[in-house]
Amino acid sequence: MNTARDKDAALRSFEAAWRARPADRIAATRTDAMQRFLALGLPGARDESWRYTNLRALAGRPFVDAEPAPSARASWLAGFCGSAVEIVNGRPSPAAIESVGDPALSIESLRAAIDRDPASLAARLESIGAAESERWALLNRALFVDGLRVRIAGRATAPLLIVHSAESARDDAAVHSRVIVEVDAGAEATIIEHHLGGSGHATLVNHATQLHLAPGASVDHYRVFSSDDRTTHFDALEVVQAADSRCRQFTVAIGGALVRANLSGRLDAPGAEHDSHALLVGRAARQVDCVNAIVHAASRTTSRQTARALAAGSSRVVFNSRVLVEAGTAGASSNQSCRGLLLSPTAEIDTRPQLEILADDVKCAHGATTGRLDPNMLFYLLSRGIDRAAAQTLLIYAFLDDLLTGMSLPGARRAIEDALIGELPGADLLRSTR
Amino acid sequence: MLKISQLRANVAGRSILKGVDLEVRAGEVHAIMGPNGSGKSTLAQVLAGREDYEVTGGSVTFDGADLLAMPAEERARAGLFLGFQYPVEIPGVNNAYLLKAALNAKRKRAGLAEVDAYEFLSLIKAKMKFMGMDESFLGRGVNEGFSGGEKKRNEILQMLVLEPRLALLDETDSGLDIDALKVVAKGVNSLRSAERSIVLVTHYQRLLDYVEPDHVHVFADGRILKSGDKTLALALEARGYDWLREGRVA
Repeated sequence: MNTARDKDAALRSFEAAWRARPADRIAATRTDAMQRFLALGLPGARDESWRYTNLRALAGRPFVDAEPAPSARASWLAGFCGSAVEIVNGRPSPAAIESVGDPALSIESLRAAIDRDPASLAARLESIGAAESERWALLNRALFVDGLRVRIAGRATAPLLIVHSAESARDDAAVHSRVIVEVDAGAEATIIEHHLGGSGHATLVNHATQLHLAPGASVDHYRVFSSDDRTTHFDALEVVQAADSRCRQFTVAIGGALVRANLSGRLDAPGAEHDSHALLVGRAARQVDCVNAIVHAASRTTSRQTARALAAGSSRVVFNSRVLVEAGTAGASSNQSCRGLLLSPTAEIDTRPQLEILADDVKCAHGATTGRLDPNMLFYLLSRGIDRAAAQTLLIYAFLDDLLTGMSLPGARRAIEDALIGELPGADLLRSTR
Repeated sequence: MLKISQLRANVAGRSILKGVDLEVRAGEVHAIMGPNGSGKSTLAQVLAGREDYEVTGGSVTFDGADLLAMPAEERARAGLFLGFQYPVEIPGVNNAYLLKAALNAKRKRAGLAEVDAYEFLSLIKAKMKFMGMDESFLGRGVNEGFSGGEKKRNEILQMLVLEPRLALLDETDSGLDIDALKVVAKGVNSLRSAERSIVLVTHYQRLLDYVEPDHVHVFADGRILKSGDKTLALALEARGYDWLREGRVA
């Protein structure tokens, strides 16, 4: 066997997939992205933002495009949402798009939007994938099969749910999809993206979402990963905010084999406010790698990031957050708080809050702590007759409590709590005492 | 009910309990007094089952069973209650959860069904009223942001809800103003009965003005130095501990 060839199997399979694609109206930007991606190659150990996530095994897998597949799954987040659009293997359901009745939302497939207006879509697509840490977003631009373009023009009456399902009957299927959300001035909406699926086969999901907020716009965005333990997610989220806009972002990783979740936020004009909250749960051999980069590019901008990382089994959870306050700005305010809880001797949590301040007048704070369950708290609960497993679960739950209570949607919070409790030991008691 | 024989224990490799003998019979109230660092609190924690305190010798039976062989949670369900000197704050676990989970754990052992939600709430509210506590506290995190006095009241509230056979109260009186002390004493007294026993670990005579002990023990250097009735506490208050240590026992 030729090992030199094997280690590039993934790269060559992506190139083959690209060559096999029929040309569309954004062929130039796709070609540019593919060539840059091939020149960079897959990220390796020397790439700073990939220090903790080794892709060697993945690099040797020859991927094929996931075939179109019928709708297969129900999201447990559907209960409290208004409209829901399912995207299976990157392809949205036309019927679901048709059925969205909210007058504040206009939704079309990304392909339809590109056919109509290729020039402006190409420009939009290119705004993500510039940094080396975003090279999966470059590949995404070259290869996405479809996705959605959502425009929000008023106040949405109920949360919009986008369900991403990956379905394949074989190993090494790859799904590339993209969602673009444009929020008009003063418009408001809640958008939930739920990544589900895997059919027990090793699957790669390479997704990107771009959120662009006009002045005064307000968006709550959730992305929840609850796929099976054979699914690898590369997920890039871009948030660009104009003056006085507000974004509250929640990233929840409670599934998948590997979840690499990037968030790239740009506060472009005064008064923009960005909150991002990450709830990262590692168990068994899962790896969760969350990389945030927030740029304060204007005066009077505010960002707050909180992360709660939980690692059991032999899992590894990484939270890497970088805040840049650009020169020439004044009155930027930034806060980063990351706490990790290790539940087994073989689990690992790596946190790296970083600040780069190029302006004088700023207010920045950051903190990161990682530890184990507090023995004094545990003894207190045991001394009240509570089971050891249940006491541990209560304390784990308590650790996540402030992040959960900070969720803007009570329905989402309850559904996420339920899913989370299913992942923890002693779940039954927790349900009965909650 | 409780029989401690020649109990020895180490904390972080240091010998703290050096042969404790004590018998507590049903219906009795005992007070254990003694200077700082004498091992009183260690005794209370060892009895409650704290794992990082290492028992190196002796035995303890509780209602005839080998207490030291039971894990902490089992001791609690068997009816032993420790009121902590420094109750820990647990943000994110609310008081109502804790009380309910604790009560249900005890009921389960007794073969009873889980407490009904309505019954639970009326029980808790009645006990809280008795302890002069505001209902809003139920939704707060366990001891989270409580003042010293509130934490101690909360310990007594838990005790009243769990109705233990044996209550060990570790300096429950410390840090209390006189009004709070009276409320705590009222709670303790309400639990006195022929089937229950109470062990008060305390520095001062003050609490004993409100909860009258049947027996008073002086603890020093890891063992009981002298036992007597309540007049011993008064003597200690008047003369301090040194006269006992120096062997000039009156």
